[in-house]
Amino acid sequence: MANTSSTAVLAERAPASSPKKKRGLSARTRSKIGDFMFVVPALVLLAVFTYYPICKLFQISLTDWNLLNDTWKFVGLKNWIWLFTGTGAKYLWNSLKITFLYSLGELTVTIVGGMLFALLFNRMSRSFSLMRAIVFMPKYVAMSSAAVVFLWILNTDSGVLNYLIKSVGLQPVDWLNQKSTALISILMLTGWRVIGYGMMIYLSAMIGISKDYYEASSLDGANGRQQFFRITLPLLSPTTLFLLVTTFLSSMKVFQSVDILTSGGPSRSTEVFVYLIYRYAMVDFRMDRAATSAVMFFLILLTITIATMKYSNNKVTYDS
Amino acid sequence: MKKSFLRNYKSVACVAMAASLLLTACSGSTGAPASPASSAASVASSAAGGDYAVTEPIKIVWWHALESQYDELVASVVDDFNKSQDMITVEAQYIGKYKDVNEALVAANAAGSGLPGVVVANTDYVASYGESGLFENLDPYIKGTGYDANDFAEGLLRSAQYDGKQVSLPFLHSTQVIYYNKDMAKERGLTIPDKITDFGAFLESATQKAADGSTSVYGTVFPGWDQWYFETLYLNEGVNIINEDNTCDLNGDAALKVTQQLQDWCNEGVAYWASGEDASAVMRQNFYDGKCFSVLHTSSLYNNYVDNCSFEVGMAWYPAGSTGDKNSEVGGCVLGIPSKNDQATKNAAWVFLQYLCGKEVNMKWAEGTGYLPTRKSVLETQEGKDFLTQKPEFQCIFDNLNLVNPRIQSGAWSELATTWKNYMDQIMLEKSDVTKSSNDMVVEIDEILADHS
Repeated sequence: MANTSSTAVLAERAPASSPKKKRGLSARTRSKIGDFMFVVPALVLLAVFTYYPICKLFQISLTDWNLLNDTWKFVGLKNWIWLFTGTGAKYLWNSLKITFLYSLGELTVTIVGGMLFALLFNRMSRSFSLMRAIVFMPKYVAMSSAAVVFLWILNTDSGVLNYLIKSVGLQPVDWLNQKSTALISILMLTGWRVIGYGMMIYLSAMIGISKDYYEASSLDGANGRQQFFRITLPLLSPTTLFLLVTTFLSSMKVFQSVDILTSGGPSRSTEVFVYLIYRYAMVDFRMDRAATSAVMFFLILLTITIATMKYSNNKVTYDS
Repeated sequence: MKKSFLRNYKSVACVAMAASLLLTACSGSTGAPASPASSAASVASSAAGGDYAVTEPIKIVWWHALESQYDELVASVVDDFNKSQDMITVEAQYIGKYKDVNEALVAANAAGSGLPGVVVANTDYVASYGESGLFENLDPYIKGTGYDANDFAEGLLRSAQYDGKQVSLPFLHSTQVIYYNKDMAKERGLTIPDKITDFGAFLESATQKAADGSTSVYGTVFPGWDQWYFETLYLNEGVNIINEDNTCDLNGDAALKVTQQLQDWCNEGVAYWASGEDASAVMRQNFYDGKCFSVLHTSSLYNNYVDNCSFEVGMAWYPAGSTGDKNSEVGGCVLGIPSKNDQATKNAAWVFLQYLCGKEVNMKWAEGTGYLPTRKSVLETQEGKDFLTQKPEFQCIFDNLNLVNPRIQSGAWSELATTWKNYMDQIMLEKSDVTKSSNDMVVEIDEILADHS
């Protein structure tokens, strides 16, 4: 009976509630739409200035567009075939190799150098604050200005570095004009700029590690070395991952220092990927090849970054 | 499962955004292809033979590559023009080196906006700009306004043409020369030889070596940062660089002989291959410091050498090849009008262009810089004689002015030159095998040429 009556009540209510549902969206849906509307401007900007250019880039890679010409036609996969079989392949692998070498160098300096400096300057006093500021300052010097200064420092005949080398009785080095030293020279500039950044990021993470861990481990008889490898290093792993991913992505984009110091030379020994794309576009005017290489670069980076993120999910220790 | 999905979703989203930002940077210059020929071109063609008069006041911009030491000269020339009439106002803008001007011009042309009224272009780019139609064909303007273009030295005039069309006018021109230390030459009884076959012996005599065998004074320095400086050595040996069948002969016997000779001289330490971003400055500094007896360089830097050297600077023509040819190639820049400008801008630009290339202004450039007078009439006048009195070393260029030839004109030249230069660096600096490297290079260059045919 009770069931019958409740069913009747529901049946009575049903016609009244159905039109109500049709009249408007639920409060939850309205709230979601409201939230979404807040991100629409950002999405529109991303779509116009990021995703549309990417799609356009892929489209251009299927054309024969020379920057000097107003007309172009679709050539199918011609540029892609050239990229993997012609001289394009030779330059693609060469620049990939150089870019990864450069990235490895920058990652080493940022992570290893940054951590060492963080350990060295992890003292809360005025003099240490000043020293930290001095180490960090180069990050704020414009790359173009810094590169011009390094051009002078590394000058074979009148550079400061060779002056110091000669003063200790060694032979001067033709830093920027030898294949064996050109990339190292660019990394010197990079290292000078990024080591302070790595230090600051690690320092802020170190400050965030609870002192309880160190006190407890001291009571258990752990020495400084053990504390570093068993406590500090594992708890810094999210920071290391952050630095690894962000530094890797930014280092793969290296361009300005290469352009100013070596222009990709000598003999293409410092022709990093972005410089290669620039050369195709602005020196050879081959926008089709530049676009093909850029799409290829995007795919490589996307793959590597996804792999890094997946791998790191299992390896990073979060202090929570 | 959901958490995992969200985590992966976030990861992919982060990566996509980071990569997108990266690619946005990469694709900064890869906007959509510009729309087909603008209306400006059709206006120009319809105006052919018509009126090129400037009928309304207009302001135009002139892009140049004259560095800060020429600021006063540029300002004075532009001021004189602006004061000489009241219809056209010119604003001169220094863009950077020729390479920077090229990049800015090509980008503005692709965008179809922000183009200058008049622009300088290195002689390297005339073929590309002519072939693509970036530069306006000036023939109708020359005919329509009765402009006398025949007073320009023939080689210089041809260097401003593409496919028989006058797409630009000669502006600041130079050629390849050898600067040498005249004091050292007198002291040691050295002279720059007339023939390349005697150049090896000359280098042996001019070079000074320390007790440990290292070179303290090089006989000469070859500028490896720009193929323009060494391509003449090949051309004078009968190398075509680009054959009639659109292939490259830089691995032919004649070319291999030149390359091998250059490598041998560098290996023996009697010559030095200057390459790299600061190579030009380093080479000049070495010359000022007496660390090399001579350098191959552009005649446009004559003033620069004279002002910086504490010794007397001599200037000589390149030695003739074994074929007897002693041609050289024109360097410097031409002036052109971007064809996508509207007709009113082009008309004003044509008036200013005539002024800049005029005899009087040309002499100002020649006196204030190391560039050559471009007008034949100048050479026979008192002004020409005065110029030679002021700069007697230019006699060697005046004597050979008819041997200054236009550049090789090919739309593929820029790519070819980059490839050649890089391989020459490899051969000279890393001492790679001449034949193998030349063959590899020609495979690449042939591919470039085929792609442009």
